[in-house]
Amino acid sequence: MNGAGIDPLHAWNIATAMVVAAGCALVGSLLVVRRMSLLGDAISHAVLPGIVLAVMAGSRPGGLGVMVGAVAAAIVTAWLSAGLAAGAGVAEDAGTGVAFTTLFALGVVLVSAFAARIDLDAACVLYGELELAAFDTVSLAGWEVPRGFLTGTLVLAGVAAAALATWKEQVFAAFDPAAAQAAGVPVTILSVGLLAATAVTTVAGFGVAGAVLVVALLVVPAAAAELLVDRLHRVVALAAVIGMAAAAMGYVAAWQLDTSAAGMIAVVLGGCYLLAALFAPGDGLVARLVAVMLLRWRVVREDFLAALWRQAEGTVIAGPRGVLPTLAAVSLAAEGAVERTAGGWRLTAAGRGHAETIVRSHRLWEAWLGRNVELPLDHLHPPAEWVEHHIGRDVRARLAAEVGDRTGDPHGRVIPPESPAGREGPA
Amino acid sequence: MAAAAPAGPNRVPLHPGPLHPGPVVEFHDVTVAYAGRPVLWNVDLVIRGPAVYGIVGPNGAGKSTLLKAALGLVPLAGGNVCFDGAPLATVRSRVGYVPQRETVDWGFPVSVMDVVLMGTYGHLGWFRRPGRRERAWAAECLERVGLADLAGRQIGRLSGGQQQRVFLARALAQRAEIYLLDEPMAGVDAGSQETIFGVLGTLRAAGCLVIVVHHDLRSAVTWFDAVALIDMRLVAAGPTGAVLTPENLRRTYSGQPAVLEELSRAVATGGRTP
Repeated sequence: MNGAGIDPLHAWNIATAMVVAAGCALVGSLLVVRRMSLLGDAISHAVLPGIVLAVMAGSRPGGLGVMVGAVAAAIVTAWLSAGLAAGAGVAEDAGTGVAFTTLFALGVVLVSAFAARIDLDAACVLYGELELAAFDTVSLAGWEVPRGFLTGTLVLAGVAAAALATWKEQVFAAFDPAAAQAAGVPVTILSVGLLAATAVTTVAGFGVAGAVLVVALLVVPAAAAELLVDRLHRVVALAAVIGMAAAAMGYVAAWQLDTSAAGMIAVVLGGCYLLAALFAPGDGLVARLVAVMLLRWRVVREDFLAALWRQAEGTVIAGPRGVLPTLAAVSLAAEGAVERTAGGWRLTAAGRGHAETIVRSHRLWEAWLGRNVELPLDHLHPPAEWVEHHIGRDVRARLAAEVGDRTGDPHGRVIPPESPAGREGPA
Repeated sequence: MAAAAPAGPNRVPLHPGPLHPGPVVEFHDVTVAYAGRPVLWNVDLVIRGPAVYGIVGPNGAGKSTLLKAALGLVPLAGGNVCFDGAPLATVRSRVGYVPQRETVDWGFPVSVMDVVLMGTYGHLGWFRRPGRRERAWAAECLERVGLADLAGRQIGRLSGGQQQRVFLARALAQRAEIYLLDEPMAGVDAGSQETIFGVLGTLRAAGCLVIVVHHDLRSAVTWFDAVALIDMRLVAAGPTGAVLTPENLRRTYSGQPAVLEELSRAVATGGRTP
């Protein structure tokens, strides 16, 4: 990296951000699929008093004592959230809101009150100091390794080992806690383990993102990954990739723009989520928009065919006009379904079958409505105009069996016979 | 979807070993309370297999709670539950549970196969992953419920009836002898109901005890060998025909005259519905 022109200090900072982001993404995935994102947020804040008390008792920031303090605070948070909900009768999310803000505020008060006595800086705790991560180093086998990187790596290794060892039980308990418990899986212990893992990764994340933004590292990569893939191990892997990529890109962007690295990483993560929401296959906004537009285009083309058929029948005088119908006509002509005449367009033999299917669907539906629903005659057309594009051969057959194929529609017009070109089923 | 899979020559037996005389579940004086409000009072009930046994009663009668109490999912305020004379903790792997379908998040990122494999976890124990043998067995269980071709699908992309059959396949994968099913027919299409009851019938034929919490009395008459009528207390228990009498139904559904009238009619016609 040095050769590419990146200062080794920056490289260490980026590496630190990436290992921390990977650990957070792993734990965050389990929180997100359990719909416990809010608890992750709560814990990431509420561990603060535990950390401060541990530091006051002599532990080094990021050291083992701090981890223990954080885990204890996390368990107190979860216990208080549930306890407030059960005991005071408030909703569980309200209980969580009360518990974690109070504990976080307690931590802020402690930090400011004992700032002179303890080696803990409020700004660092709240906003992280990723830019300075490379300066605080420890010697490891002759290498000067940043403390934040070491902590992040150890936490990632520990969390990953725990997740691997208990993976199938975690998934079972997350998906179906009742059945898991009935099968003898220690659901409560696994939940407490997840809380502890959240607390520990959060502590590692403080150095990168601070208490305010670390929840972005926990929740956003997993939430984005869940939109894109549908197996839990893939969610975890993709969340880790997203988290690490956002950490690196956010750091570089912040360095170039001379702004907060933690803030930039969270902004990049938000962008990743937006991209996932837009472009997710199937359920993404773009995919849904495309599906709607394709449907609209099909309706325009089918309406054009049906209008030409009715024109030939003599029940409609003028064909459809406008930009979209003209485009539809040109595309249908290219497929050989319609052809130009002196006055406009007419159906070819190939297009007639398709047109008859549409008109048949329309008139069968009108006939069925007219027979089974008491609607005035002029109210039959609008629903049929919509439904004609959505029913397939089998539904038409059942409608025909009920209303009688040979008779006309309620307006006295002929229902054209089923064409061999008719659609098999609903599109 | 095929109905209940027929027994083929290569079918792995559902039981790990030879059968003892028949599984038994005993409820001794079971009382359960939620937040100080009792929902089940002094239930004394002995259920002997092999059988397909219905737990029937009105909404809020405590039917689901009875299953949860048996499985230790809700604390007992009094009494105890025994499986083959032993407490649950010693016989867990022999007891399969199918919770209500709505209790889980079907958007959860797992495939059909993943869910069925969960049934094998009890026998695998900690730290061991399901291997080829477990996968083959899970695939066979899926075939029994008619879902062999959907193994790789995400569970949210199934119909309600298919989801319920996935849950049943997971219970089958456990190779249990006692099955507790909570409302397996709720929101399930007729074809899936047929398949599910077909599988339950083969379990009974294999010597298992299947206990089903059920809300529809008309089908109860057709499907259950015996039933317990529950309305916070045990109203009656025994062979279906002997228990579902107008008198017992009146005592169970006393608060709901309209339901009562319909049920009496249904029971009188032997549960045949159009």
